[in-house]
Amino acid sequence: MEYNCQTPDYATLIAEARALDTSACTRDLRIAVLADFTTHQLVAVMQALAARRGVRLHVYEAAYDSIESEILDAASGLYAFAPDCVALLAATPKLKGRYYAAADPAAFAGQAVARFAGLWDGLRAHCPATIIQSTYVQPAERAFGQYEALVPHSLGAAVREVNRGLAEAARARRGVLLCDADFLAAERGRAAWRDERLWALAKLPCTPDCLPDLAGGVLDAALAAAGAFVKCVVLDLDNTLWGGVIGDDGLAGIALGGFDEGEAFVAFQQFLLSLKRRGILLAVVSKNEEAAARLPFREHPDMVLKEEDIAVFLANWDNKADNIRRVQQVLNIGLDAMVFLDDNPFERQLVRAHVPGVIVPELPEDPVDYLPALAALNLFETASHSDADAARAGQYREEASRQQAQASFTNIDDYLRSLGMTARLERFAPRSLPRIAQLIQRSNQFNLTTRRHSEEACARLMADAGHAPLTITLADTFGDYGLISVIVLALQGDTVEILDYLMSCRVLKRGVEDLAMNAIFAFAAQNGARQVVGRYLPTAKNRMVEGFYAGFGFTCIDSAAHEAVWAHEVASWRPRAHFIHAEAQEWGAAPQAVAG
Amino acid sequence: MPRDDIAARLTDLLRDFFRQPALALAEETTAADVPGWDSLAHIDLMVTIEKAFAIRLSTREVRGMKNIGALLDILAQKTA
Repeated sequence: MEYNCQTPDYATLIAEARALDTSACTRDLRIAVLADFTTHQLVAVMQALAARRGVRLHVYEAAYDSIESEILDAASGLYAFAPDCVALLAATPKLKGRYYAAADPAAFAGQAVARFAGLWDGLRAHCPATIIQSTYVQPAERAFGQYEALVPHSLGAAVREVNRGLAEAARARRGVLLCDADFLAAERGRAAWRDERLWALAKLPCTPDCLPDLAGGVLDAALAAAGAFVKCVVLDLDNTLWGGVIGDDGLAGIALGGFDEGEAFVAFQQFLLSLKRRGILLAVVSKNEEAAARLPFREHPDMVLKEEDIAVFLANWDNKADNIRRVQQVLNIGLDAMVFLDDNPFERQLVRAHVPGVIVPELPEDPVDYLPALAALNLFETASHSDADAARAGQYREEASRQQAQASFTNIDDYLRSLGMTARLERFAPRSLPRIAQLIQRSNQFNLTTRRHSEEACARLMADAGHAPLTITLADTFGDYGLISVIVLALQGDTVEILDYLMSCRVLKRGVEDLAMNAIFAFAAQNGARQVVGRYLPTAKNRMVEGFYAGFGFTCIDSAAHEAVWAHEVASWRPRAHFIHAEAQEWGAAPQAVAG
Repeated sequence: MPRDDIAARLTDLLRDFFRQPALALAEETTAADVPGWDSLAHIDLMVTIEKAFAIRLSTREVRGMKNIGALLDILAQKTA
């Protein structure tokens, strides 16, 4: 997919929205838009942008300035629509009105934040949708001039305080994301963003030219919450991470560090390192001799990225399309979760043509522009962050060690036994919820039903006595995999139904599936169930588990194009052998304190 | 710019904007005479006209303009 550095302009998007073609869209997203300004144009632009990204956007556009009534009325159209996410968008002129009318300016910011936090909690009580809250664009007028920020309750200070308060309140809750309108406006230049005339005439939040930025901000957050985000950045080396050609110019000849281009490459690498620390995997695909390609990583004093930061390092003379497919196979992620960065237009075009799905941004000619060009695309949106993210790159290197160890065993059982695997099975726990929600968002291939529960929905399952929501964590002698599988069971009469079953592909064929199925049948037996029922809902990506239930001896009792239902008698289940030492916590029943 | 030239450019612009290649404008034509010219389209249209003629319309002009003749008067005055 081609990503140009410029957002398409308003007129183009409006024209596309008028004749919206969603026939090529591969996924659907339901979003409710609640705003205290006119949203007609914004929604049209959002639909056109979504279609460009292969998403059919279903929009519930609330009436003008009806945020409170939609949220507080349990019978409102908002709840009937059952959105995946709800955007709460607020314009500065409305905030100014409240500010000037406030009896106590000192209490104003706190009250403005409390109003939205209350609305979020009200919304939560009725619906588990992800909430996307906009921030306020700083106003132009400053009664105190530059002294404005030094006066605690001036308008300018209050707007900053509200934005900060919204972020803090969102941080303290699950499933509340920000659309940082003030950042978007500042990048454009706030003077170019605002149009007081269009506010006065039509209650437009900004000039039409900037509506694509705002629409993109909402959409980026919504798509990240729905699981569409980048997991890996594939990097070229020569003239992408440093200036010059290492094979020709040598260690002393490449431009890296110091000043001029060398300075820009250091800044670019620092950003890539911050992505890696955030949990995005870095891979190298370079046309080079391997020794030459690795030399700067090992010996150049100004190299920010080190070999251990790179999850997969491929330096050879094969074409880059094939190499990218290799990276994808090792990491077991979707092509559409990969970004390819290369200064060479030929390589970019080759990858676009031969590995469709991979995001291939245009890179500007001057390396000092790499960073701002990438930043403008906002490719690295996320809906969650946990400490486990940062450990991921290390886990992939551990995987490489395991693959080497595997080569020295001829018998797979011997190999599995040698890993000394230990697993913990437990019910969803508060500390695990961010990782659970993240795995639910990320897992595409080993995912039987691909239902994307939000973190909030997971919290509800955790407390619900009617469900048995299970997590599995795994470790072995090479390292810790962390939380790698999520299974949700429901006991319905004499049947245990497997509502959700997903697992990280990194632990395929280690025996976790056998361990889990044994646990499911043990749960069924304990609860006096007669049978276990599971479903397979096909998607574009989960063919690998089409025969999952058949492999465990289940019988197909209903088969349609969109769903296959499988069943197995509890009485005839024979436990599977595996080599994992399991430690099981009580996970079948909801904790009393939570369940009430 | 002569008023006739402005009228010709404006006609082209509106035909394009409303995607009505046969759209004909007279001095007395109002928004109500043109299918699709509602209050939302009005704002987009005014912004489009501003860009095309490199002018800025005031709030009063956008709101108060009665018909095509009034718009032509404003454009003639601002592009003079």
